[in-house]
Amino acid sequence: MHFKLNNVIPAILADRPSVRISGIWGQAIEWKKGDFIKITAPSGTGKTTLVHLLYGLRKDYSGEVLYEGKNIQLIDSSELANLRQLHWSIVFQDLRLFPNLTARENIELKRVLQNPIVRVEQIEEMASQLGILSILDQQSMHCSYGEQQRVSILRALMQPFDFIILDEPFSHLDNANKKIAAALIEAECKKRSAGLIITDLDKDEHFDYQVSLNL
Amino acid sequence: MLNHLLKKLIRNHSGIIRMITSRIGLGIAVFLLLTAIQIQSNYHFLLNSSNNKDSIADFLVINKILDNNNLSNTKLDQDLINEIAKQPFTESVGILTPSRFKASIQSISDRFPFYTDISFESVPSDFIDVKNDQFSWDPNAAYVPVIVPNMFLDIYNFQFSISQNLPQLTPAIVKMIVFKLTVYGKNGPISFNAKIVGLSDRISSMLVPVEFIRWGNNYAETKSNNEVSRLVLKTNDPSNAAIVSFLKKYNLSTNTEKLRYSKYRKVIDAVVAIAGLTGVLMLVFALIIFTLFIQLTISNCKQEIILLITLGAAPKQLSKFLLRQFYPGNLLSIGSATLLLILLQYGLKIFLEKQLIFIPSAISWITLITVGALSFLLWIVTKKAIQKHINA
Repeated sequence: MHFKLNNVIPAILADRPSVRISGIWGQAIEWKKGDFIKITAPSGTGKTTLVHLLYGLRKDYSGEVLYEGKNIQLIDSSELANLRQLHWSIVFQDLRLFPNLTARENIELKRVLQNPIVRVEQIEEMASQLGILSILDQQSMHCSYGEQQRVSILRALMQPFDFIILDEPFSHLDNANKKIAAALIEAECKKRSAGLIITDLDKDEHFDYQVSLNL
Repeated sequence: MLNHLLKKLIRNHSGIIRMITSRIGLGIAVFLLLTAIQIQSNYHFLLNSSNNKDSIADFLVINKILDNNNLSNTKLDQDLINEIAKQPFTESVGILTPSRFKASIQSISDRFPFYTDISFESVPSDFIDVKNDQFSWDPNAAYVPVIVPNMFLDIYNFQFSISQNLPQLTPAIVKMIVFKLTVYGKNGPISFNAKIVGLSDRISSMLVPVEFIRWGNNYAETKSNNEVSRLVLKTNDPSNAAIVSFLKKYNLSTNTEKLRYSKYRKVIDAVVAIAGLTGVLMLVFALIIFTLFIQLTISNCKQEIILLITLGAAPKQLSKFLLRQFYPGNLLSIGSATLLLILLQYGLKIFLEKQLIFIPSAISWITLITVGALSFLLWIVTKKAIQKHINA
C-alpha cells in the first residue's frame, strides 16, 4: 500500500515561485503504508490542496497521484468510496462535521458507514481520553472549535485505514490535548500498521516521523 | 443505525404534504389506467365466456343488398364466403340452402282452413336456436318438422286472425297442428304431414331439416344450382365495428338492429380510451412531479450528500437508501389503487350477477401484469432519478 506522486503541480499554484523550491510539487515521491510523514509549510503554499488531491477531492493538477499504482484521477466513484471507507481516513482542516447531528452521531456515522471495526463502548473510552465525553450528545454546531476538532479526530479513527491524512489537526488544541490526541492517533495507526500524513505550519514532535518534507 | 442517521440528514428537508399529494396523484393515475384495462378485460370475458355466450354472441343472416343493378344476381361466391369465414369477428359460417322445388301447405282441419304456396330453407343445426331432437327427416318419417319465425305467428295472431275472424293461436297450440305439405316434382306431387316444432327469433325463414331440402331438390330435378344467396354468420362480438365496415365494403346487408351493439361498443371504447388516456397522462405527470420531488429533496440536502460522499459514502449506498425511502411509498400507491380495483371488481361481479351477467370476481391477469409492469417502471424511474441527481 503506497502513495506515489509523479511531478504533481496543482493548477492554482503552477505560477507561484514557491513551487520551484518545493519538496513535493514537481517531485517524484513515494510514501509506504506504515510511514509517518510530516509536511511542513507556511500558509498559502498548498497544504490543504495536497491533502485534497491525496484524498481524491481535487483533480485540477498536472502530473499523477497514484495509489497502489492506480491514478486517483481515473478512479470511479465506487472505488473512491471503497478507498475512503477502508484505506484512507482524514481529518479536515475545516473539520466538516454535520452541524445538526450530535458529536456522537457524527462519530457513529463514520463507524457504521462500513462494517464497524470499533465497538460502541470504545467510542466512549476514546472520547473520555480526548476529554469530549460530556459533549458527545450535544449537537456539534454547539461545540467549541477545539471540541469539534477532537470529535473530527475521533471520527477519523472509527474506520479501517492504511493511511490517515491529517490537515492541521491540532490547530485549536492546547499542548496537553495535542499530546493526548497524538498518542491516540499513533496507537490506532500502530493497531492497523497504518501510515500517517500530517500537514502543519511548524515542525513538531507529536509523532516519530520517518519522512519530513517542506512544501 | 446508518439508515437512522441518513434519515436524520436527508429526510429533514422533505415536504411531507408534497410527498403525500404526489403519491395520491400517482395512485389515481394507476387506478384509472388499471380500470381501463380491467373494463376491456371484462368485456372480452363477456364475449368469450361460455356462461355469457348466448347473451352476446349473435347470428347474422347476410345477403347482398338488392338494388336495380344486381336483380337476379345476388349470388355469394365462394371467394367471398371464404373471406367472410376468415374475418376475426367470424366464429363460424353456415350456408342457408333454399328449396328449389315448388311446394304448398294446406290445413287438414276444417277449423283452420288455409292453403298457400311456400318455400323453405335449411341451415346446419348448430345455427338453430331451437333445440329439438325431432328436427331431422328421412322419407319414412311421420312428418316434416318445420321451424317458423316468431314474427310469423305474431303477424297471424295480431293481424291475420283478427281480419279473417279466425281464432288466435298460442305457440303450444301451433305445435300441435298437423298440416299437409306437398312437394311438386317430375313424378307428380308428393304429400307429407308437417308440423311446427319450434318458433325462432334467430333466422327469419321457414326452416326444415337439411335432409328434406336435399330430397326435395333432388325430387324436383331442378337444374343443378348450388348458388348461395344467404348465409348465417355466427360472431362472438356483434358489437365489433369491423363487421359494419366489412358488410359495407362488400355491399352486404344484415339485420342492422343486431349490430346496434357496435354503437354501444363505440361509446364503451371511447369511455375506456378516455379513462386510459387520462390515466396515462396523469401517470406521466405523476412521474414528472415525483422525479422533481426527488430532485428537490436531493438538492435541499446536497451539502449533506456531498459531505457523506466525501467521508466515504458510496453514491450507490446513498442511492439504495433513497430508493428505500421513496419506492415503498410508490408501491403503496400502486397497491392501494390495485386493492381498490379488486374491491370494485368484486362489487361489480355481485351487482351484474343479479342481472345474469357473469364476470370474474378477481381482476384479470393482464391487469395484474400491468400492476407488475407499473411497479417495475416506477422502480426504474425512481432509481434513475436518484442516481442522476446523486451523481450530479
